[in-house]
Amino acid sequence: MKFFIFVTVAFLAAFIVQEFIPAFEWAYSSRILLVHITFLAVAVAVPFPAMLLYALIGGFIWDARHHIPIYPPEATAGIFTQAELPFGFTIFIFGLTGALIQGVRPLFRKGRWELPVLMIGICTSLGLLLEYLVISFHRGGLEIPVELWWKLLMSGLFSALVSPFLLLLLSRLGARSRLRSKNSYRRHNYDGDAI
Amino acid sequence: MSRLNIILLIVFVAALITITLSSPQTVARIQNGAMTVFSPFMGASNQLESGVETVGTESLSPAQLREMVDELERERNRLKLEVIQLDEIVRENNQLRRALQYVKKAPISLVAARVISRKPSTWYNTMIINKGKAHGIEVDNPVIVPVGEDAGLVGKVSEVVGDNSAIILLLTDEMCQVSAKLQNSQEQGILNGQRGALRTMPNLRLRYLSREAEVTPGRKVVSSGVGGLFPPDLVLGEVFSVEIGALDAEVTVNPSVNFEELIDIFVVLPVRDPENEADMQSESGNEDPVAVEKPALTAP
Repeated sequence: MKFFIFVTVAFLAAFIVQEFIPAFEWAYSSRILLVHITFLAVAVAVPFPAMLLYALIGGFIWDARHHIPIYPPEATAGIFTQAELPFGFTIFIFGLTGALIQGVRPLFRKGRWELPVLMIGICTSLGLLLEYLVISFHRGGLEIPVELWWKLLMSGLFSALVSPFLLLLLSRLGARSRLRSKNSYRRHNYDGDAI
Repeated sequence: MSRLNIILLIVFVAALITITLSSPQTVARIQNGAMTVFSPFMGASNQLESGVETVGTESLSPAQLREMVDELERERNRLKLEVIQLDEIVRENNQLRRALQYVKKAPISLVAARVISRKPSTWYNTMIINKGKAHGIEVDNPVIVPVGEDAGLVGKVSEVVGDNSAIILLLTDEMCQVSAKLQNSQEQGILNGQRGALRTMPNLRLRYLSREAEVTPGRKVVSSGVGGLFPPDLVLGEVFSVEIGALDAEVTVNPSVNFEELIDIFVVLPVRDPENEADMQSESGNEDPVAVEKPALTAP
């Protein structure tokens, strides 16, 4: 229980810290998406039902703060009434990427962080790419400049660089609050054998 | 997958659909609440950013002096804009008096505001200001700043989030489309920015110019006022390069406003019901039916 209380507090604190993180102009205006990273780190550490709950809460708060109601041309014609990126789209992104990253949860539980870290980077970029594709779909033309790939790459890279700290924190906390199984303290190789 | 997980997944999808189909009013209320919660942190973040930027000059001058300089600069900018607007109004007034014996130019008022959050969005070039519904700001209000001796267009209000904040969609965004023309020319087109907010200062694109348009690099591009959303003659940028297509010409424009250094901006508010005021004046036997008011300016 302590673990979940801490995780929830840390997740909410990430929203506040996010306000202090600027966009890096030199990195094609990409930024450290701390909320996304925290969510993905939490998603790899908690069971599926809890992941869904965090996706719902996290996505809702993110959109409440960051949603920009830019309406596509068809909305002005009365055909479509939602914004380009509808309110709640981040919940979908979180749910999707959270479900993906649950696939490497066994590795995290065994103390293997390489793939989870890589997946956090990939999932961050994937979520952003989905958003861009939805925007492009509404605007009727798929423009993929080179800068876009750099922006996605940098965002993913930032996530992958920050995530080990969060995974370490969650891992230590899980150990203290006895969330993990006894065997999970041992390191394993990818075949599941204890090292 | 266990039965519990499947049930929870169904509940999740149902909640997602419900939230996604929320009405714009509900979304606005939610965002208003969120902005109330987050605005202290946004303010602190902005102060921290400003503090970092001015760390070199902080030791040279006392804080009070800096505050005074800021205040004077704001005052100077307000006055500059006032003069620009007055000149424009007088010029237009005289021109139309002579030509048509009639003018109905809606006077404007300016609300000074301060930027409290830069680039809050991943995919849109936006910023958040510290003025909102309480100050009469509405969606689609133009936002300007002084650029030399002219007024430059920053963008438009995309959303008013509560009483004390509004989101500005910058000119550099693809979705901020402005009817523009080459200065001292009748060549008109549509100017917009770049998709994806990949740069704070991307080149703008002026499209749908005629192939015969006399475009030379360095020539000023200004708003045409067509459509009524943006006032005419606001400076947008300078021509950087020209591309002649099969049907029309497209021009790359360097924006005049430095979007990276915006601190104080001005939101242009239309003054309500000018038609009634003009009608009332003509009915009362006023000899001059042309009502041109001095733009009102409010403190930041």
